[in-house]
Amino acid sequence: MAGVLEIHDLRKSFDAAKVINGFSLDVTELTLQCLVGPNGAGKTTTIDLISGRQKPTSGSVIFRGDDITGLSEHEIARRGIGRKFQVPAVFRELTVHQNLEVAYSRETRVFRNMFHFTVPGCAERLEQVAVEVGLKDRLSVMAGTLSHGETQWLEIGMVLMQNPSLLLFDEPVAGMTEHEIGKTIEMLNELKKNHTIIVVEHDMGFVRQIADIVTVMHMGQLLAQGSISDIEKDERVREVYLGAEEEHA
Amino acid sequence: MAAMEKNIYHNKALQWGVYAVFFIALAIIPLVQDDAFILNQFATYGVYGMLALSISLCWGFGGILNLGQGIAFGLGAYGMAMTMQMQSQDPDINPIPPFMLNNALEELPFFWEPFWNTSAGIFLALLVPTLFYVIFGGLMFQARVAGPFFAIMTLAILSALATLFIDLQPYTNGVNGISPPGALDLGFVVVDPYSSVSYWTVFVLLLVSTVCAKLLTQSRFGLVVQALKNDSERVRFLGYHVAFYETAVYAVSGLIAALAGCCWAFLTQYVSPAQFDVGFSISMVIWAAIGGRNSLIWAIMGAFMVQGAQSYVGDEFLNSWVLILGLFFILVVRFLPGGFAGLTESLLGALSTGGRRRGGDVPVDVSKAGTEGA
Repeated sequence: MAGVLEIHDLRKSFDAAKVINGFSLDVTELTLQCLVGPNGAGKTTTIDLISGRQKPTSGSVIFRGDDITGLSEHEIARRGIGRKFQVPAVFRELTVHQNLEVAYSRETRVFRNMFHFTVPGCAERLEQVAVEVGLKDRLSVMAGTLSHGETQWLEIGMVLMQNPSLLLFDEPVAGMTEHEIGKTIEMLNELKKNHTIIVVEHDMGFVRQIADIVTVMHMGQLLAQGSISDIEKDERVREVYLGAEEEHA
Repeated sequence: MAAMEKNIYHNKALQWGVYAVFFIALAIIPLVQDDAFILNQFATYGVYGMLALSISLCWGFGGILNLGQGIAFGLGAYGMAMTMQMQSQDPDINPIPPFMLNNALEELPFFWEPFWNTSAGIFLALLVPTLFYVIFGGLMFQARVAGPFFAIMTLAILSALATLFIDLQPYTNGVNGISPPGALDLGFVVVDPYSSVSYWTVFVLLLVSTVCAKLLTQSRFGLVVQALKNDSERVRFLGYHVAFYETAVYAVSGLIAALAGCCWAFLTQYVSPAQFDVGFSISMVIWAAIGGRNSLIWAIMGAFMVQGAQSYVGDEFLNSWVLILGLFFILVVRFLPGGFAGLTESLLGALSTGGRRRGGDVPVDVSKAGTEGA
C-alpha cells in the first residue's frame, strides 16, 4: 500500500535539550497508527513538527511525495493534514453549527469569503459529520457550554469537516468518562475505514482497541514498532513503558 | 430533544428590523429640526458613530484591540481638508495655500498636486489610510503580534504621526492645522456644513458603512474572523491564513474610520493634529465598550450616548466630566462587560426563556444566526 507520510531522521532541539533525536516513521494508507510512550518521549512534539506548529532542527517530513518540512500551519492543513489538539480547541463563543461551518475550509481566500454567506457542499457535509460525532441534537448550542466529552467530539468533527487525508489526534480521550471513551472507540474504528490516522495516546487499554500499528517512542527516538501483541511482548517496551504503567496500578 | 427556546436577540430578521428603525429615526431628525447648528452637531455624532462602528468591527468581531484608530481618522481628515483647500486655490493666480507662503514655501509640494482634482483628493483621503493599515497591519499580524502588544503599537504609531504632522509645519501648517476657507464642492452639490446637505451626506455614509459591516460579519469572512477572536491557532490549523484575515478586518475598519475623517473635515472645515490625539482614539474604544463592542449598532449608540451626554450634561460639570465618564466606564466594565448590548441580550434571553428554565437542564441556546447583536 502507498505510503502517506514518511518521516526521515527528524531532530528537534530546544537549546541543549534534544527532544526529538533521529526519529523516523512510515505511515501507510488507511491504517490507524498509535504513537505511545512515557511522558516527555516527544509524541506531541512529533505531531507539532508534522503539522507545522514547530519547525524541525533537521530531518524531513514527506507527505504524499511532497516535502512539507518547515511549511507553515495553514499550508500543511491545506495539503490535507488535519489536527486535533490535546486540550480541545474549539470556538467557545460560537455555536456547534458555526464551529463546524468554519472548519469546512474548502475556500480560504479572504475576498471570496467576504462576498459569500455559504459554501457549496457545506450543509450536506455538516449534516453527515454531526451524525458521525453524535452532536446532531446539539448544533444550536454554544460550544463553550458543551461537556468535556462533547467538546472533544466537536473538535473531531471539525477535523472531519476539513476532510483531510491524514488525521492527527493528540490524546482524543483525555478526560473522558468510560462511556464517552467507548463511543470514541466506535467513532475511531469507523473513521479508520476511510482515513489514515495517527493517534497519540497514553492509555494502553484504549490503544489495544483501536490500533493497527503501535509505535513506541522513548527519549525522542523510535523504540519499537509492530502490532499491539508484538509490542506487549517486547522486553524493552515493558521496561520503559508498560512496567511504569503497572507500577502506577 | 425538545424544541429549545431561542433568544430573540439573535433573530437575524429582527436585528435588521432594529437597524431599519434606527436609521428611520435618524432620517426623521432633519425633517423636524431645521436649526443648522443642531443639524451640524447631530451630523458630528454620525461621524462618532462611524468611528465606534469601525472599532466594533475590529475589536468586537475580530478581537483586535486598536487604540490608534485616530491614524485612519486623522489621515482621512487631512486628505479631505487638503482637497477642500485646493478647491479655493487657483492654478494660475494663487496656486499655493497661504499658510505655505507664510512658511516660505515657493512651490506647491509634489504630494499636494493630486489634490487639485476633487475626486482624486477624496480617493487618496480614503486610499492612503487604508493602505497604511494594510502595510502596518500586515507586518504586525505576519509577525503574530497580537493583543495588548498590537494595541501598544497602534498607540505608538498614532503618537508618532501626531508629532510628524506638527513637525512638517510648511506642508501641514503644524499645530494650527488646515482651515479651508470654503465648503466642500462636489460639483453637483456644495456640502455646506450648516445645512441638511451635510447631514444627509453623513447619514448615507453611516447607513452604507453600517449595512456593509453588518453583511461582512454575516459572511463566511465574518465567521472566520469571529472564530479567530476565540482561538486563532485553531483557525490556522484549519488551513486559513490568519494574518490575511486579521489584516483585512483591520483595514476595513481603517477604511470606515478614514470615511469618518473625511466627514469630519467637511463638517468642521478644520483639521489639526488634535485628530491624532491619543485621548480621542481611546474615547472611540470607550464608546464601543459602553454601547457593547459585540454589536455594531450598540457601539454606534454608545458613541451617541457618551458624546450626547458630554454635550448636554458635560457642560454642567466642566472639568469633572472626564472623571464622571471614567467612573461610568469602570462601572460598565465591572458590571456590564458586554456593555448595553450585553445587558439587552441577557434581558431578552430571560424574557424569551421565561420561567421555564427552573428545571435546570435547559442548555443555553442561540440560533445559528450569529453571536452578534441586534
